[in-house]
Amino acid sequence: MTRQYEVVYIFDPALEEAAVNERLARFHGLLGGAQPTTNHWGKRTLAYSVKRKDTGYYVVDQFETEPTALPEFERAVKLEEGVLRFLVVQMEGEMPAPIPVEAAAIPAEEEDE
Amino acid sequence: MIRTRTKTCPVCEAGVRVLDYKDERALGRFLTDRGKILPSRLSGMCARHQRQLSTAIKRARQLALLPYIKGYGQ
Repeated sequence: MTRQYEVVYIFDPALEEAAVNERLARFHGLLGGAQPTTNHWGKRTLAYSVKRKDTGYYVVDQFETEPTALPEFERAVKLEEGVLRFLVVQMEGEMPAPIPVEAAAIPAEEEDE
Repeated sequence: MIRTRTKTCPVCEAGVRVLDYKDERALGRFLTDRGKILPSRLSGMCARHQRQLSTAIKRARQLALLPYIKGYGQ
């Protein structure tokens, strides 16, 4: 069974965009299956310094893969020196359908007080 | 934050169902001036969104989008 995942990488700001893309291509190769949707945020200031860097190049990936492919992927990313930090999360997507609201909402809100 | 008599969850009111850990501006509203997570008793969050919020803030901290302690080391 495949799952939806989202990965945020923080690359070393010294890396050129081409170098970042090359590393991303290598990571994507480990996942197999469909090409991930990649979103480059570009350089941003970090809220605190990571590995003595004050800025980082952020990239967000979204993909669907077998959970068994992840340990190897994470290992490869961890070993990559150009990545300051990364985070893999399962994409929750939208929450399941809301309870038929109109009737339910009003009493529920009153309970909150 | 100012206490109001009828408190409603600010996230529910905005029509947001899932809080995104990547949106640090939205999350920043729910931090104290030192960067702690604002308790729901002050923010008026519903329990579901408060749980989502704490996960989202902790993820954003790992990604250096939000500070663990605001004003530390500056």
